[in-house]
Amino acid sequence: MIENLAEVFTYPPIQRAAFACVLCGASCSLLSVFVVLMKMPLIGVSMSHAAFAGAVLGMLLGINPFLSGFVMCLITAGVLGPLSDRTDLAPENVLGILFSFLMGIAFLGMGILTRTKAGALNLMWGSLLTLSGFDVAILAVVTGILVLFVVFFFKEIRAVLFNRRLARSSGVPERMIYYALLFLTGAVVSSNLATVGGLLIFALLVQPGATALQLTYNMKHFFLISAASGIGACASGLLISYIFDLPSGASVVLMATVIFATAYIFSPKRRMAKRKERNGTP
Amino acid sequence: MNEQLITLDGVTVRKTGAVLLDSISLAVARGELVGIIGPNGAGKTTLLNVIAGFEKFEGILSLFGRRENHRRSRGTRLRVGYVPQSFPVDPAFPILAVEAVLTGAIGRTGLFRSPGRRQKAEAMALLETMRLSHIAARPLGQLSGGERQKVSLARAILQRPDILLMDEPTANLDIAVQKEVLDLVDEIHRKERLTGLFVTHDFTMLPTAMERALLLDHGKMLFDGDIDTALSGKTLTRLFRYPLETFRRGGRRFVSYD
Repeated sequence: MIENLAEVFTYPPIQRAAFACVLCGASCSLLSVFVVLMKMPLIGVSMSHAAFAGAVLGMLLGINPFLSGFVMCLITAGVLGPLSDRTDLAPENVLGILFSFLMGIAFLGMGILTRTKAGALNLMWGSLLTLSGFDVAILAVVTGILVLFVVFFFKEIRAVLFNRRLARSSGVPERMIYYALLFLTGAVVSSNLATVGGLLIFALLVQPGATALQLTYNMKHFFLISAASGIGACASGLLISYIFDLPSGASVVLMATVIFATAYIFSPKRRMAKRKERNGTP
Repeated sequence: MNEQLITLDGVTVRKTGAVLLDSISLAVARGELVGIIGPNGAGKTTLLNVIAGFEKFEGILSLFGRRENHRRSRGTRLRVGYVPQSFPVDPAFPILAVEAVLTGAIGRTGLFRSPGRRQKAEAMALLETMRLSHIAARPLGQLSGGERQKVSLARAILQRPDILLMDEPTANLDIAVQKEVLDLVDEIHRKERLTGLFVTHDFTMLPTAMERALLLDHGKMLFDGDIDTALSGKTLTRLFRYPLETFRRGGRRFVSYD
């Protein structure tokens, strides 16, 4: 089997799929830190439906679906921040409203679409093995920008994730950081639609961060563990999908769940909390 | 005459049809520690939020002699420290007590740089002052409410502000911890000569350095003057619309009512 695997990895589509998997794992898991710590799990679903709605509109108008999906994600990110800041609506409520609206747009578009809907449906399920070099290049650029953003603005990001108002009062450019994170979420989701698909990308935006939350109080380690968990889920999921001839997107998501469950069971934080409970100490 | 660091002239805040602050005018000089006292819903936090730059308003607000709206420059924000009401922190959130204090220094550190050894030493020194150096490496979410409030105060002080805004810093704390926080506020005011606004609805627990108080009710200013007159039975009865009497014992104020 190892020889077969080695042979398989000589095929360009497989190499692209493997590279895309690593980039997908890294980019989604870094954003997962933001999604989990700001308690905004709906953002993944909303952005993936924005990308999907944009792609369907693109297909209707004869525009490159990736480009139109990308633009729709950025528009959604651009609306989400100011809408929740300038109204009394909580960000999760705004996301719920946007998500329903965008889903309506997407399915309206699907209903109007007269040609084959296969291209649109591929964006729902993902299709790792049909990725083009262009798809992978876009994903690499977006991942690179995200990594640089996290590295250069680490302390500002930590302050914003902790408490936006306190960050602002301490002179941190809180709004710029928050809106940049929203835009990057849109960019990462739309560039990853082709890998794991719109339905499942939500899992990769939540589970790696949730895994890290079980294991560490150090923010730098948090990002690293989240990234390792995401990349591990993607790599192992791809491997399992090859060995057992299973859908790759679903395999990746299920591996992410297994990794989270393992972290939860062996969580040192949980053990410490239980020990304190038994000893009656706060 | 002392420099006026904060001046408000006819400041009004309206939200969804309600008037939260109604034409408030006041001036706070450098070095003053002023109490903002009133019942729940009086507009105390709204007033603090206007000065902190979190709330839109009508009227004129000046800070450090410069007219401001709710959008502040980074330079102005750095000069105004803010201690919020105690808020819950997820016990699993990845931030240690000393790291939470260091977030106060981020604005001064600037982009693309990290807090250096000097700032870390300052943060530890502040925690030592608060008698919290033993929990510096503990996750913030695992500290008690009182410990978190002290960390919040340390964070605001590390920012080295000229004005310190404190929103009910002793709320939801037991009496011994309230006394510790008030003593810290007194000590900081004495050492740093900060200009401070201290919001509270509990007028029996106030820093001893406080010499002036504003009484707010339903968004209106009822009184602005020396603390003893502000906290007399007559003034408080008018404020709370309930017959109250106050007396002092051992330097502390107490209230009695039927």
